[in-house]
Amino acid sequence: MAADVRAIIAGLGGVDNVIEIEPCITRLRTEVYDASKVDQAALRAAGVHGVMLAGNVVQVVVGPDADTIASDIEEIIG
Amino acid sequence: MVTTVLAPVAGTAVGLAAVPDPVFSQAMVGPGSAIDPWREPGQAVAPISGTIVKLRAHAYIVMGDDGRGVLVHLGIDTVQLKGEGFRLLAAEGDRVRAGQPVVFWDPAAVEAGGRSPICPVVALDAAAGEVDGEVRGGVGAGDELFRWS
Repeated sequence: MAADVRAIIAGLGGVDNVIEIEPCITRLRTEVYDASKVDQAALRAAGVHGVMLAGNVVQVVVGPDADTIASDIEEIIG
Repeated sequence: MVTTVLAPVAGTAVGLAAVPDPVFSQAMVGPGSAIDPWREPGQAVAPISGTIVKLRAHAYIVMGDDGRGVLVHLGIDTVQLKGEGFRLLAAEGDRVRAGQPVVFWDPAAVEAGGRSPICPVVALDAAAGEVDGEVRGGVGAGDELFRWS
C-alpha cells in the first residue's frame, strides 16, 4: 500500500506544524512545533505502517519508500 | 518459491524481538531476524542475490529478481553517524550475489558511541507466516539466517 503524501502532511498537523523531515530507509523522522496537532489515526489511515511519538519528534514508519516520500513532502512544504 | 536469507554479519542471531527499536521489534516493516554482531571490524554482506536498491552507509536493501526486498540495518539510530566509520564496498544499483560484501564497518565503534550495534535483517512487507527456519545462536557472515517462503 502506497502512503498518501498529502494525508501524511495533514496527519502531522499540516504544513505549518512541520519543522523538519528526515528520511531513514523505512521511516520519516519528523520534528513538529505542536505534538498535540499530530493525528495518529489519520496517519495510519494514510497508509503508514506505524507511528511513534516522543516529545515533539514523530517517527512515521512508511516502508522502504521513505526517501521518495520525504522528498515529495519537502516539495509540497517548500 | 523460497528465498534463503543469509546473515549479513557475524555474531549471535537473537531474533527481531530483541532489537531496542519498536519499528523492528514489532515487525512494522516486516518479519525477519537480528544479529548481535561480534565487536570487531568486518564486512556486512548481501543477504540475498539481486540489486542493491537502497544503499546508505548504515543500511541497505537488496531486492531479488522476484521483487522481494531484504533490509539490513547496521546498528540502531546509526543514521545519526552520517556515514562516519562506515565504508561502502558496493554502489546503489549494483547487482550482487548473496554473500558479496556491501559495507565495511566496526560494531565496537558504534557501541563506543553509545548506540546498539545490533543488526535487524527484515523481509520487507512479508507476512509473519512467510518467514521460518530462523537460526539462533552463533552465525558467520553468509551463513543461512532464515527462509522466506
